[in-house]
Amino acid sequence: MRGLPLALVAAALAFTGAAGPAAADRYVHANNSAYDTLDPHVVGDVARVATRLNFYDGLYRWVDNPPQLIPWLATSHTVSDDGLVWTFSLRDDVPFHDGSLMTAEDVVWSVERMLALKRGASTLFLPVLDPGATKALDDTTVEFTLKTPSAIFGSIVSDIYVMNSDLVKENEVDGDWGQAWLTDHVAGSGSYMLDRYDPAVGFIGERFEDHFAGWGESYYDEIEFRTVLETNTRVQGLMRGDYQGLDGYLAPDQIARLRDSDNVQIIEQESMRVFHFAMNNRRPPFDDVNFRKAMAHAFDYEGFIGSILQDSVVRNPTIIPNNMWGAPKDVEGYTFDLEKAKEYLDKVEGPIRTIHIGTLAGFSETEQAASLLQNALAKIGVTAEIESAPWPVVNSRMQDPEQMYDMVPYWKSTYYADPNNWIGELYGARYIPTRNVSGYDNPEVNARLEKALVSTDQAERQTLYEEAARIVYDDAAGIWIYNTKWYGPYSTEAAGIRFSPVGNAQDMRWAHPAD
Amino acid sequence: MRRIEIILSRLLWLIPTLVGLVVVVFFIANVVPTDPARIIAGENATTEQVEALRAELGFDRPLWEQLGIYVRDLATGNMGRSLYTQRPIADDLAHRLPATLELTFAAIIIAIGLGIPLGVVSAVKRNSLTDQVLRVLSVSGLAIASFWLAMELQMLFSTRWGLTPLNGRISGFGPDEITGFFVLDSLLTWDMESLGGALLHLLLPAVTLALPAAATILRFTRAGVLEVINSNFVLYETAMGLPRGLIIWKYVLRNALISTVTQIGLIFGVLFSGAVVVEAVFDWPGLGTYAVQSILQSDNKAILGFTILVGVVFIVVNLIVDILHTFIDPRTLK
Amino acid sequence: MTGLKRLLADRAAAIGAGLIAALVLVAILAPVLAPFPGDVSEFHLTERLLPPDATHLFGTDRMGSDLFSRILFGARITIAIAVIAVGVSVAIGVPIGLVAGYYGGWSGGLLMRASDIFLAVPQIVLAIAIAQTLGPSVENVILALSATYWPFWARLVYAETRAMKGQVFIEAAQALGASDFRVMVLHILPNIASAIIVRTSIGMGATILTAAALGFLGLGAPPPTPEWGRTISEAREFLPEAWWYAAAPGFAIFLVVMGFNLLGDGLRDILDPKIRRGAK
Repeated sequence: MRGLPLALVAAALAFTGAAGPAAADRYVHANNSAYDTLDPHVVGDVARVATRLNFYDGLYRWVDNPPQLIPWLATSHTVSDDGLVWTFSLRDDVPFHDGSLMTAEDVVWSVERMLALKRGASTLFLPVLDPGATKALDDTTVEFTLKTPSAIFGSIVSDIYVMNSDLVKENEVDGDWGQAWLTDHVAGSGSYMLDRYDPAVGFIGERFEDHFAGWGESYYDEIEFRTVLETNTRVQGLMRGDYQGLDGYLAPDQIARLRDSDNVQIIEQESMRVFHFAMNNRRPPFDDVNFRKAMAHAFDYEGFIGSILQDSVVRNPTIIPNNMWGAPKDVEGYTFDLEKAKEYLDKVEGPIRTIHIGTLAGFSETEQAASLLQNALAKIGVTAEIESAPWPVVNSRMQDPEQMYDMVPYWKSTYYADPNNWIGELYGARYIPTRNVSGYDNPEVNARLEKALVSTDQAERQTLYEEAARIVYDDAAGIWIYNTKWYGPYSTEAAGIRFSPVGNAQDMRWAHPAD
Repeated sequence: MRRIEIILSRLLWLIPTLVGLVVVVFFIANVVPTDPARIIAGENATTEQVEALRAELGFDRPLWEQLGIYVRDLATGNMGRSLYTQRPIADDLAHRLPATLELTFAAIIIAIGLGIPLGVVSAVKRNSLTDQVLRVLSVSGLAIASFWLAMELQMLFSTRWGLTPLNGRISGFGPDEITGFFVLDSLLTWDMESLGGALLHLLLPAVTLALPAAATILRFTRAGVLEVINSNFVLYETAMGLPRGLIIWKYVLRNALISTVTQIGLIFGVLFSGAVVVEAVFDWPGLGTYAVQSILQSDNKAILGFTILVGVVFIVVNLIVDILHTFIDPRTLK
Repeated sequence: MTGLKRLLADRAAAIGAGLIAALVLVAILAPVLAPFPGDVSEFHLTERLLPPDATHLFGTDRMGSDLFSRILFGARITIAIAVIAVGVSVAIGVPIGLVAGYYGGWSGGLLMRASDIFLAVPQIVLAIAIAQTLGPSVENVILALSATYWPFWARLVYAETRAMKGQVFIEAAQALGASDFRVMVLHILPNIASAIIVRTSIGMGATILTAAALGFLGLGAPPPTPEWGRTISEAREFLPEAWWYAAAPGFAIFLVVMGFNLLGDGLRDILDPKIRRGAK
């Protein structure tokens, strides 16, 4: 009776030795959130991008940093003079995982599916593209007719993930566009084919040898993405050799200890992910530019970036990332200066009340930033209260003008590499209240943003965005803090990691074992 | 038959209790008017999209009507879809239940293995140094925050010394699934590598969970054994010249076991409460992790499903314990 | 021997009482005892994550605040949560149990069935559900704990009252024309008080553990509140290097809960002779 458990433990110990580290041609990634679904049309977040990039292909693909669009399923496109009709030429040699060839009909069907489900990336398309406005002219030509001109349409077609429409239709239940089936099946042409999937664990992908883009000399035959929710566990696991890679936005304390490990390399890249405080410009006293300026001068940028983040990020004076075109180069950020803050505060007419800051539960950086501001505000006589809530709750409140907090610190990531992703969506009136959560509405800014959205002249667009950014800056519509650096923590056994701010290096077809 | 009567009446009570639980939890999940449609629609959805989704999913109907639909669906085993992942909640819970049960069972075995012998020793050597130490340990076992203990053990054994795995039920994917219990499945498929991995992964979480339960069992066993030792028949047997050791193991232990079985319902509660946070620390892909994830995602519907499932498990466990009790201790039939 | 003397004569109970007295003192005197009382909300970003030394007895946290000071102030939150949550549960549960037990019948049965519903799941599960919907704050933690803990008291008092009802002296009081209210409050309640007191002490410990777990899960006080459970969860990402960060609040919780449990055991021995421990 007593002997049995001991024997089992001994067996257990013996076998872990046998399991050893992962084979060299296998890549194991520890991800910070769960892969609830494999359906590329229903999720659009960065945390679950690995399934989209590795199982599916889009018309174009973002690679490298600064991000570049390269031809992918489509080889080229043309735009009509009025900017409404976009025509893409497709490759004719793209096999799906079951061997059948992709045609324009698959693209049309996939677009319609995405628009009909109204989730994930569809929110980027629905404002400009109606259902039924996509046509297959022949097997290799597809044409989109937009509702309004859109200078950014070319940047977002990477998010049109094309499905094997025949295969999905076979598995459709009650006109659900195959939703139930695609939750745990893949119908794509991507670099990897689904091998195993468990929403509680993650997925394993097996290399798709016949992928249209071919393969280099070295590659991973198998990739495994595993859900490991605890940051500390991911870090420790990488150091122990359990994993070959992690997500790249770790706290500097974690990066520092990873650097100390012989098994780990850190790949550094300047990303495009701006950390800022959204301020509810609609609600007094935030409707007073003096109050907003007081706020902008009350944040300890240096303390936050230098001490808490240990200079792992760079100051970003406006909302547009420094390394994105359209960011005005000559703007100096607001400084931490409580004297100035007090001066501006004295100019504020009307009463000053307790302000409420919403932070993202589980994202300790937002809590630390809010605490820092709260602390400084107390010194100039402004009381701030912090309310922490899960992101879905915070986000849902942000989009409701009635319920929006006074301030929320959060990141604006890259969904497509165009200034509109930042300044347009956050401060353009057309995006109130969903993405422009501060309710900032300045005709001067709107005019420039709208013009930039339809203009096809790159130089003009750049000037327009720079001008708009300056006005927003002078209005102190938000507190802009830093642009993230991406620190990709990888095992020294991995090589060829190809980073792009869109997708965060999780497109695994480029990676391979180190020699 | 008195026994059948008791079981039947318990079974009859099961339904109103369950219905009550559903109603209570449903209203709890809806006290604060959050906007599930907006959460589902995602962060970039337009107002029109949210409106459309709301109507489609029935969130614009009165609450009592939503409750009616929920109960009707529940009767067919349908708990709806998660607000965040869109997965069927009942499937997800069913998939994760074996993980939690496996952990809980392992913890119960450890807890009994520690609690009963130590409890007997403590009682037999009453007021000795051993007894004092054991009593301090048992009080301590109940005073430690399990999530903290889990973190500290993980830090020492996994991070510092590298003796145990950091997290999860197994490295990567488990053995071929038959029952969902990895230890059982790997035995059934004779997959020794999985068996070793599963056991090793079980070790720390199960020990963490087991400690408070072991403390509880130790206390009950000690009290139970003391009662027996002081009772007349042991005095009588001693007087008859039976060796003390034999008396203790033969009579005393039997009574101690009875008292443990009657407390299993309570112990199961202690373990289950602990599992919610301990799983979160060890990334154990069970119900606790699911609940914690649902909290972070504000997924009211998933939490609703989780609570109801736990309620069902509990009511069933307590029912079984009560039935067992009528066999072990016939006095309850009076 | 008076109750207090007997209590102090029991070593374990005396230690328990001592721990609780220390907790209360620490909570009251936190502003005086803490070397850096301002660190509840102030940061020193250049002094982040320092190990314990003479200046910072328990080291510093992720914002460079003195952990020792923060733990002392955390005692206030812990006491507030435990006292209010248990107080409210007792205030709701005891009258319900008393009335249900005294009158019995279908209404009493109904009340008990209602409490069955709440007792059907572990307390923390329901508390999570409630705290999650209401949003994270100390007030909501207290609310969630009270709302899920009263049925326990209702059950306890119900059972005790039922047992008491048949007693001769209760029947005598009724025969003498005492009102129901008078019988319940003046005759039954004092006789079941000892059971309530014993369970209150142990219940405080359990409540502190549950509250800490809610804090750990992010359902408790917002930052920078020095709540112990939240501090432990903050510390997670800095382990194993900053071992002191999680160690201090963990030990604090341990000592306080231990205090209440020991005291509860001691009180049981004194107040409830039937189950006197060890039969010395």
